[in-house]
Amino acid sequence: MSVTPTTVDPYDITVRSNGLRRRRLSEKVFGILAFLSALLACGILAVVLSTLIYKGFSQLSLDFFTKARPLYGEKGGIADALVGTALIVGMAMVMAIPVAVLVAIYMAEYAGPRVSRGLRIVLDVLNGVPAIVVGVFVFGLLVVGHGQSAVYGAFALAILMLPMVSRATQEILEVVPQSLRHASLALGVTKWRTTWNIILPAAIGGILTGVVIAVARVAGETAPLLFTSSIAANEISLDVHGALPTLPVSIYVNSESPDPSEQAAGWAAALVLIAFVLVMNILAKTFAGRKRRQLEGS
Amino acid sequence: MTSTTYPPAAAPESDLRRRGLRLGDIFFKGIAIAAAAAATALLVLIAYKVLRLAWPAIQEFGLSFVWTNAWDPVKEQFGALIFIYGTVVTSLIALAIATPLSIAIALFLTEIAPRKVAAPIATMVELLAAIPSVVLGLWGILVFGPWVRDHLEPWLKDVLGFLPVFSGAPSQAGILPAALVLTIMIIPITSAICRELFIRVPKDLTDGALALGSTRWESIRGVMLAYAAPGIVAAVLLGLGRAFGEAIAVNQTIGNHNAIPTSWFEPGDSLGSKIASEYVGATSLQQASSILYLAAILMVISLVTNVVAQLVVVRFERARRGV
Amino acid sequence: MKRLLAIVIGLLVVLALAVLGGRTQAASAKPQAGSVVGTGATFPFPLISKWIPAVDNALGIKVTYSATGSGAGIAQITARTVDFGASDAPLSPDQLDACKGCVVIPWALAGMSVPYNIPGLNGRLRLNGTVLANIFLGSITNWNAAAIKALNPKLSLPDLKITPVYRSDGSGSTYAFTDYLSAVSPQWKSKVGRNTSVNFPAGTGARGSSGVAGVVKSTEGALTYVDAAYSITNKFPFALIQNRAGGFATPGIRGVTAALSQLPKKVTNLSQLKIVDPPKSAGRRAYPISTFTYVIVPTSSGDKAQTLRQFIYWAVTSGQKFGPLLFFVPLPKAVNAFIYREIKKIQSGT
Repeated sequence: MSVTPTTVDPYDITVRSNGLRRRRLSEKVFGILAFLSALLACGILAVVLSTLIYKGFSQLSLDFFTKARPLYGEKGGIADALVGTALIVGMAMVMAIPVAVLVAIYMAEYAGPRVSRGLRIVLDVLNGVPAIVVGVFVFGLLVVGHGQSAVYGAFALAILMLPMVSRATQEILEVVPQSLRHASLALGVTKWRTTWNIILPAAIGGILTGVVIAVARVAGETAPLLFTSSIAANEISLDVHGALPTLPVSIYVNSESPDPSEQAAGWAAALVLIAFVLVMNILAKTFAGRKRRQLEGS
Repeated sequence: MTSTTYPPAAAPESDLRRRGLRLGDIFFKGIAIAAAAAATALLVLIAYKVLRLAWPAIQEFGLSFVWTNAWDPVKEQFGALIFIYGTVVTSLIALAIATPLSIAIALFLTEIAPRKVAAPIATMVELLAAIPSVVLGLWGILVFGPWVRDHLEPWLKDVLGFLPVFSGAPSQAGILPAALVLTIMIIPITSAICRELFIRVPKDLTDGALALGSTRWESIRGVMLAYAAPGIVAAVLLGLGRAFGEAIAVNQTIGNHNAIPTSWFEPGDSLGSKIASEYVGATSLQQASSILYLAAILMVISLVTNVVAQLVVVRFERARRGV
Repeated sequence: MKRLLAIVIGLLVVLALAVLGGRTQAASAKPQAGSVVGTGATFPFPLISKWIPAVDNALGIKVTYSATGSGAGIAQITARTVDFGASDAPLSPDQLDACKGCVVIPWALAGMSVPYNIPGLNGRLRLNGTVLANIFLGSITNWNAAAIKALNPKLSLPDLKITPVYRSDGSGSTYAFTDYLSAVSPQWKSKVGRNTSVNFPAGTGARGSSGVAGVVKSTEGALTYVDAAYSITNKFPFALIQNRAGGFATPGIRGVTAALSQLPKKVTNLSQLKIVDPPKSAGRRAYPISTFTYVIVPTSSGDKAQTLRQFIYWAVTSGQKFGPLLFFVPLPKAVNAFIYREIKKIQSGT
């Protein structure tokens, strides 16, 4: 047929009608927009990281990691803040993880559906309490009358960690196959031993993922520490009874300074903090991968 | 087979065991209950303590505090309106920009990008979430704020200057820089949740749409987004909750000015930021309790946003199960 | 997986040991040296930073100080979260009541400079109280305003928006600055008033002396009020402020010393230490925005009492020699008797 048809069958997809052209065009546009959005997000990350590296890398020296924060007008490092952050985050982990795991165990193994849902709500609400409100709470509860202390700072961070770790633990406990539990109980193992020796080890990957993510999030929290551990001597100290300097608070203080060397120290400290957080996140992904493989295997 | 071997020698515990009591179990269950009770008690304690500390201001100003446009420590007149405005406006701007971007990113990662490309990009978006807020604030004060003042705001003023919100002189600290920093914080959260949602959309729904002759984009828009809509709403609300609660990065970039600005270039203040600025330095009981009143309002706003997000999910899950 | 767990547990054990170690370390602190923790004003922070290593050398006293603003200095010592508070603002009667028996001791003295950022200005800016008040009230918004031109006939002032920068935290610098503005501008006094925290009608806020200096550095057209030491170390140009005698004064040693002319021969109470807006008789050199800065200590300081007395006594005597390089004027003899009397009031008490 060599005659061009005067009418076009709209359902004939072999013919390039206006409607189809428009639709194909909008599809392409959408594809491009989606790609650009992803590119934008990656671009922002690249800009922030490269600024950190560009402005902070030159400050990283042996001195920077071994000297304490300087007094006004002097040069120093962040060693005391590193030690302080490590101690406070470590204490927060010790405070939060056992309680969080136990709460999750209770929800997954013991509690009835209504209690479980109620606890879920409690944890979600706790998760939604802004960090600054937690800081003000711990200040009013503990710091007033007693003074600042690294322990109080750790307590505030533990409050922030609790819902995250609990939720992660609960999710992984739910995924652990019931057959494991039934088999163990059928063999006469007590319930608590079943949970402790069999279920928890099976869930450890997911729990660790949750822990690592929570630690990464909490290591960079400034607001609670502003109220509980911000007045500290410019020296490396292991005395958790008093306040200890921390990375996020020193970054916060340095960020507002007009002094270029203080700003540079702020960039470098931010670089160290972000390196730690990124490493933690990559670790979490490894655990998550392992957890998936483990549970798929069993 | 002789009866002398059965039952086995009675161990001290077997008596209890027979009765169904196991000490180990009781103890373990006990500490699990204690932990759950402690978590609940903690939440109640937080709410109680904040309200208790805010009580003098609540008594003095009552509910009108919420819509009072004043913050004057000299005259002891306090009100939350300035800060509620700052919190809400910066968060909504962030939401408006972040939501379409997050959905687009999630769609790109689940529908468009090949596996090999999607994985590293997904990791990068997650790493964006990992940046601590104080670091974003540091970048905001020293790099982003000046850039906004020197490039973005003049451009906005040129293009959209007839709108009052884009009028006035550019400034490196103000509603706009703070809102943009919040945007950067929200994007990874919302896009991660959206990604999870889109992966879970049943393939046969989208396949069906494609079989009926729709293009990729049409099937996504008509079927996928519609299906995931309640989840998207929940994701958006969760991002909003995060934005509401952010104090430090906002404090570093919003300009700390006690006023409701007409232009988004101008400095203002938000709930979290004001608490961070003034709480340790509040020298009168009235001022301190007013700041705690702000904290209570912030807590309520975050709580409501969270609860609404949960309700949206629950309600539409129920509706979907009925379908 | 087991190995990782072992590592984690190992780290936790190390942490536990660190905690215990810290506890025993704190318990077995050297008996003869003491340590005190304080917080407050950013104004004297450059000077206190010099005191910290010096008093450790001289007396073995370990001082920890964090500059969080005078408001925090007052609030934290009232809440007894620290051993001493520092403030450029004296305590109001209400605050003294709330502090439940605190002494307020002046321990340093300097001028509040007004640095500005006007690129390429051909000379030093001159301002007076009325103009300063109007700038911070928001009624003068551009550097080429007539009122500013009138004071600076020889300068070519650019068409540049003025960004007043103020302290967003509770600040003794704000107290001193607003004290001055209230004295010279009745409009300021009625509209805004004087306090460590006021409702500034115009401009941008920032935390700490560091913060306001930072904003001025990065914002063209900005000006702020900050302790002279910060202007010097950051190499900001600061304005000459006109005093009642008509002279344009600088916040240097001579300017601040001249402002002390109204001080009685022997100071007996704190209200005599108000030295902003000195009268005409103070002379053409007197800098109008000078302020004392104070340390606040509870009279019942428990086992910190002796250390506090020693530290403060050292600060007001030997410590003063660190001042002049940072533009802090050594305390005048007129306050000595008052200071010693107040120091004696710091006792262990209950």
